[in-house]
Amino acid sequence: MLGGTAPGNAVRPAPRPGIGATLGRIGIAMSIAFGALAAAAGYWQVWRASELSSAPDDAAVVAAGRNVVRGEITDRDGKRLAWSVDDENGEPYRKYLSRSISGVVGYASRLYGTAGLERAYDAELTGVTSADPVQELLKKLRSNPSDPQAMRTTLSATLQGAAVKALGGDSGAVVMLDPRTGEVLVLASTPVYDASAIANPATAKVTFQALRADPSQPFLPRATQGQYVPGSVFKIVTAIAALGSGAVNPETTFKQQPGAERGGLLVSGFRIRDGNHPKTGTRALNFVEATEVSCNIWFALAGLETGGDRLAEWAGRLGFGAPLPFDLPTAVSQVTGGGGDAPGGFKDAVELANAAYGQAETLVTPLQMALVASTVANGGILMQPHLVQAFTGRAGTRTVAPEVWRRVLPSAVAGEIAAAMVEAVQGDLGRAYTTGARVSGMTVAGKSGTAELGGTGAPNSWFIGFAPAENPEIVIAVVVERGGRGAERAAPIAGTLLKAWKAWAGR
Amino acid sequence: MTLTAEWRLRPRLRRRELALLIVASLALVAGSASLALTRRYVAGEPLTGGPGLPLANGTALAIYIGGLLTAHGILVLTGRRTDQILLPTVGLLGGISLLLMERLPQDLAGGLGLGTTQLVWLIGSIAVITAIAALVRSDAWLRLYKYTWAAFGVGLLLLTFVAGREINGQRLTLVIGPLSGQPSELLKVILVVFLAGYLSENRALLVEQSTRLGPFRLPPLPYLAPMVAMWAIALSIVVVQRDLGAALLLFAVFLILLYVTTARLSFVVLGLVAFVAGGAVLYQVAPHVRTRIDIWIDPFAASLGAGYQVVQALHAFARGGILGTGLGAGLPDVGGLPPGGIPALHTDFPFAALGEELGLIGVLAILGLYLVVIERGLRIAASAVDDFRAILAAGLSLVIGVQAFIIAAGNLKLIPLTGITLPFISYGGSSLLTNGLVVGLLIALSDRGAEPPPPPTASRGVRRLMDRGAP
Repeated sequence: MLGGTAPGNAVRPAPRPGIGATLGRIGIAMSIAFGALAAAAGYWQVWRASELSSAPDDAAVVAAGRNVVRGEITDRDGKRLAWSVDDENGEPYRKYLSRSISGVVGYASRLYGTAGLERAYDAELTGVTSADPVQELLKKLRSNPSDPQAMRTTLSATLQGAAVKALGGDSGAVVMLDPRTGEVLVLASTPVYDASAIANPATAKVTFQALRADPSQPFLPRATQGQYVPGSVFKIVTAIAALGSGAVNPETTFKQQPGAERGGLLVSGFRIRDGNHPKTGTRALNFVEATEVSCNIWFALAGLETGGDRLAEWAGRLGFGAPLPFDLPTAVSQVTGGGGDAPGGFKDAVELANAAYGQAETLVTPLQMALVASTVANGGILMQPHLVQAFTGRAGTRTVAPEVWRRVLPSAVAGEIAAAMVEAVQGDLGRAYTTGARVSGMTVAGKSGTAELGGTGAPNSWFIGFAPAENPEIVIAVVVERGGRGAERAAPIAGTLLKAWKAWAGR
Repeated sequence: MTLTAEWRLRPRLRRRELALLIVASLALVAGSASLALTRRYVAGEPLTGGPGLPLANGTALAIYIGGLLTAHGILVLTGRRTDQILLPTVGLLGGISLLLMERLPQDLAGGLGLGTTQLVWLIGSIAVITAIAALVRSDAWLRLYKYTWAAFGVGLLLLTFVAGREINGQRLTLVIGPLSGQPSELLKVILVVFLAGYLSENRALLVEQSTRLGPFRLPPLPYLAPMVAMWAIALSIVVVQRDLGAALLLFAVFLILLYVTTARLSFVVLGLVAFVAGGAVLYQVAPHVRTRIDIWIDPFAASLGAGYQVVQALHAFARGGILGTGLGAGLPDVGGLPPGGIPALHTDFPFAALGEELGLIGVLAILGLYLVVIERGLRIAASAVDDFRAILAAGLSLVIGVQAFIIAAGNLKLIPLTGITLPFISYGGSSLLTNGLVVGLLIALSDRGAEPPPPPTASRGVRRLMDRGAP
């Protein structure tokens, strides 16, 4: 019987119960597996699409960057900060207004990629992505899909130049921003470098390699990524936490404080010392006086009263502990190195007491300290800092509106801290520290800081503040690496720049 | 009935197959036209004008579609009542591959160039499908010689271990005279054939007897040996060949078929535990395994180093978005300086390139086509006349389905990336011919009027059980 049996009569060698059911289950399992693939594709192609395809590493962005004429970057007054010119082969390269903007605008080079705003907004400047999602869809239908956007920043080239000039030969940073809107007018880092020479193909290699080897690290954008011990400027953070949480009030005094000025404050067997404040004698200080004379003991006690968990929590509301929501990448500011067993991640009460006046493991970026001052200046409301006012392309202009980032403090509490900061600059007791920050015809509020770095080197010099104190329009944060006491370098720089701002703004 | 009668032509129309082939062909013509228009646009030529429809290499497409229609004609002439969905489905996948290879830089392959070489292999694949679908009527040659096949497979594997040529740190390619190929592709078919024979023969025993080990029910100890052997083979492939993809595929298909046969989830769990344990040990001792897993966890951490391929693939998916850039308008081939093209794009990342140019819609369509292949295979398995044919059909379709899943999931960062081909789309002869063999066998197995299976050749153990059950 060669092939003679009809299929229906086929001999079945074994009963096979259940194999149909398992096949069905395999079918369902494979459908689920392929469903997961579809979901993963959706995740990358829809959910993460715009983020990835406008990232500076994206092949389309890089390819476009090689031959597209990048959009111009201007300051808030329309002055050109960066523009494109053609080399002898007709290929475009970038030119920059001056060295002073290098730390914020960065560079765009065919050889060495991009940095700063040129990097952050590479996709917009080369026109690979449009600011408008509808245009993004229509783009595929147009004859020239690339639509380089011109970018108007919130920067003021005048003030930026003044800031770099004021920092002079020192390494350091200045941040100036409008507390009412979060617009950043100055984001200066020194030393500066010549971004035009990096962008120019003729000089790129020599310039770039020399800068990369420079031990003063000109490529480090200190305003956003420099991490500094804050010293006394951190007392404003402690004040926000202590008054904001209700742990202390402006009238709180600590009766052990005057004695501790001489003998030191004993915390868990560790003695915290302070310079004495000749003008206050043996009087127990309240909040305003303690701020005015920058009393370490008072703030250490206020920090202990507040507790590590609340100090860390309130600092977190100001932006500590995570990268800031900003146009440029930022380093994370920290109250403590973390990992400790005490509340808030502190190792113990000694660390907490030291952190409360800005020593210990506390590290901050200049931008972060500007946001602290901005919160106080703007009645407790922290605006989101930003660097771009508008993008303009063929499709029209898209403006960036100011946004409230966080409501940190009730305005009454912010007012109390602001009043103390006014006294710190304008009051009699604070004279020795912050005289340099005063500007004639305008009330300045602020706080200086002298961050001890250990060892024998000079401390970092700090100042944060705002003006006019009655109705703040400008916030400033200054740090000078190894600049000495706050009063010696940072406060006079702040005074000079606030004066420049007053002239620039016509106040 | 005589032999000649068996071979007499009795044409049977295959209307559904023809209709689907026409639909697939129209889609491919549209794709080719889209690619041609994009090229004109990029070159700055006028989009309209010129005689007829603009096509990117119309000759290659015509040859390919002609090949599919010829295959259809031969299947009509042989008159078997076989599956009509599989040929158009893989035909469309192959056509997409042809368009993609036509579109990529031609110097990725030497000699004739990428597109033309792929066309040759595609035609070869169609020929294999047709020949097997038309001619294979008996499964005895697979059924009766399972240990011969197994020995052949192991021999092939050992030969590759010893004599394989190392390319990119992987010893996958076997070169014999002028011929070269990747035996692991063929190995997956041999494994399925062997497992179908072995599992169907011992199914009763595997299901009814078991050894207890704590909460697990193990298969009877003598039958555990093949599982241990399989596990060892998979791990040795990882270690010696550094071919994680093939090891994953073979082991996954093994576990699935074991489950299909026994319906015992505990076997699968046990197998997975063994596999994960082996993987954990390899993670510690084998640097190439550790690299793959580290890249999977965070490719962006080394986006210009080890994670470059995966990161660029994810960027390609992202650039594609929902609708895709259109064929020819993506950036898989921005060559030269990093960042740019994706290394091994035509073999390991065609899915990412298609994700960019065809978008999420295209990705979903391609995934759907593979699901169709799986569904047809499982359907053929469900209506098979006996266990051998059922397990064989299920195994063959799952080989394609699981392989597609492994590489697509690797491209999408769902699982660690393993260098394995995307069936019918990746460039390469070994892969195309073997998958042609798989689909050809599936079509042959779907024959509803085939000659009955040969008399039972159940093992002594099964026969004893049956005899006991018989009155």
